[in-house]
Amino acid sequence: MRAVGLNTLRGYRRMAVASRLAIGGSVLLLLIAASAAVSLSMGPVGIPASHVGSIVLSFLGLETVPFGRTEQLVIEQIRLPRILVGAVVGVALGVAGATMQGLFRNPMADPGIIGVSAGGAVGAVAAIATGAASLFFLALPLFAFVGAIAATFLVYGIAAAGGRFSMATLLLAGVAVNAFLGAVVSAIIILLPGADALREVLFWLAGGLDSRAWEHVRIAAPPILAGTFVILLMARDLNLLMLGDDEARSMGVHVGTARVVLLSAAALVTGAAVAVSGTIAFVGLVTPHILRLLIGPDHRVLVPMSALGGAVFVTVADTVARTIIQPAEFRVGVLTAFVGAPFFILLLIRNKRQVYSL
Amino acid sequence: MPLRHTPALIAALVILLMAALAACQQATLPDSVPGIVDPANLGWPREVEGLNGVVSIPAKPERIITASVGHDEVALALVPGDRLVAVGGATKDGTFSNVAPLVEDKPVITSDPETIIAQSPDVIVTSPFFPPDAIEALTRVGIPVVQTALEHDPEARIDSILFMGYIFGEEERALEFAEEVRQRYDSLVAVTAAQEPKPRVLALTQYSDQIWVAGGNSSEGGVITAAGGINAAEEAGVEGNQTTSLEGVIAMDPEVIIIPQPAAFGADEFRQSLLANEALAETPAVKNGAVHVVESKHFTTLSHWNTRGAEDLARLLWPDAFPEPADAGFSLAE
Repeated sequence: MRAVGLNTLRGYRRMAVASRLAIGGSVLLLLIAASAAVSLSMGPVGIPASHVGSIVLSFLGLETVPFGRTEQLVIEQIRLPRILVGAVVGVALGVAGATMQGLFRNPMADPGIIGVSAGGAVGAVAAIATGAASLFFLALPLFAFVGAIAATFLVYGIAAAGGRFSMATLLLAGVAVNAFLGAVVSAIIILLPGADALREVLFWLAGGLDSRAWEHVRIAAPPILAGTFVILLMARDLNLLMLGDDEARSMGVHVGTARVVLLSAAALVTGAAVAVSGTIAFVGLVTPHILRLLIGPDHRVLVPMSALGGAVFVTVADTVARTIIQPAEFRVGVLTAFVGAPFFILLLIRNKRQVYSL
Repeated sequence: MPLRHTPALIAALVILLMAALAACQQATLPDSVPGIVDPANLGWPREVEGLNGVVSIPAKPERIITASVGHDEVALALVPGDRLVAVGGATKDGTFSNVAPLVEDKPVITSDPETIIAQSPDVIVTSPFFPPDAIEALTRVGIPVVQTALEHDPEARIDSILFMGYIFGEEERALEFAEEVRQRYDSLVAVTAAQEPKPRVLALTQYSDQIWVAGGNSSEGGVITAAGGINAAEEAGVEGNQTTSLEGVIAMDPEVIIIPQPAAFGADEFRQSLLANEALAETPAVKNGAVHVVESKHFTTLSHWNTRGAEDLARLLWPDAFPEPADAGFSLAE
């Protein structure tokens, strides 16, 4: 009788999760489609919406109205890869934010806490300072990716030194490594010889999706999708880890392994995102937080929703950034902070009680 | 008065009159030069008004520091090289500076006041970007610091030369050099203004992933206009130096693209990438192969060297109107 009751309860829970996934996923997928469509239709080169639609359909072999070769190339080679890079970066930041907040049981945690953003910054600044970034266009993302992953390993290595791992040590190691890497970036900036390189560094640090091409999609998408897949598979473990190590262990979670895998996956997706976009502020913090207020803390729903929400956030922000002062461009990282921070504060004030209970 | 003394007296009076006239000529600076508090005061101390307020210069400065590349370039045209006692690192770097060979042996200063005080300067002229704290520290130790902005438009450039000449006590040389710069600019513009049709020119640079465009109120924009082009970015509403995208480049529809970027920072690679980009194939500049790497330090330094940049560009835009190469440089103070 008791077993039947538990199974029924589990069934209800699964149904609840499935329905939240279906409803939330549908809404967010619609928002992604709408924001991508708007983004594809907007830009300095005026392309009629009918031509944009026809160009997109032509990828499927269906052309409705004739369009110009330049229009096709603008959509195919400039806008589409940029939108895709923005979307996968948003996925990465959303997923990594939800994961880090779950792992640290702290809604204020973001992917930068384990040094991944600072490591990426050191890699990027090194690429700019050595001139490698100007000579080979993929040098900067590759340097940034290596820097991000190396910093994460360093933080984790410190936390795991002596054979005993603790989240508190990880957090403190993250603070120390972030400070050290911040100093490295400052030192390189101080020693840069010309104003151009300095400007380049500052702009990279502000985060942006300028000149993103298919190569950047190819660099960023595989690690981000792979890391996201791993985190999705471990969403249940993440839920249990939030109850505490002992409770998670008693429910069959191999706590140490789960933590390492989740941290590595979060670092992988964030490193790939930082590599192609610089440090886009606030997405990793604000997206999971807002969604948690809307759909609750269950990571089986929260992680995929954060992925989709992050994609919507970055796609919309980048559309605004590249059109608001066209043909010049604004920095998407600045815009996400400008929009995200006040919105976040407003939500915090309105939902104080809910936030305290998280 | 005996009559035999009269010719000697007349000669003495003529000599005195000529000397007075010469003194007056030496002193004639236009009243309208911004920053000179009292143009009639050609003695010492004299007062000037910089961005940091009114500054009194007690005596003709023999040891001068001008803490920016543009200011160093102007200073070396106004005073003998040995009076400029130290320079910033960028001025010694031929990538950014038009006077690097002239300052090879000079000590390097930074924005750290101690490195400047160590050179015992009589006066310091800085750009608006010099740290206010450093200005305060230098002023506290009794060194006059004049903070001035160098502008890219031709009239303001002449004013800057005259203003700096006044600070250094070199009014005569400043007038002479301002005239040289003005004549060079005017003779260029006299030819370029008559050329038609004026091409739409875009000044682009790329540093790693960021494409930069020079709009209105930029040094590159001033060079384009002086060379007889239309700044396509300014026409599209871009002000100053802004980031753009390849799509922005297509939208601005340039007939000529110039790349005022050092070769060491990938100018040639950027040019090749523009020419090879399929999306830009219909952009007139790319279609016609009119994408040129130009000497960046002639375009981006805020000094009279911008005129040399305009001469370079004019030769690209109107080769028939300028069959001879541009003059190499500008005169220096003796």
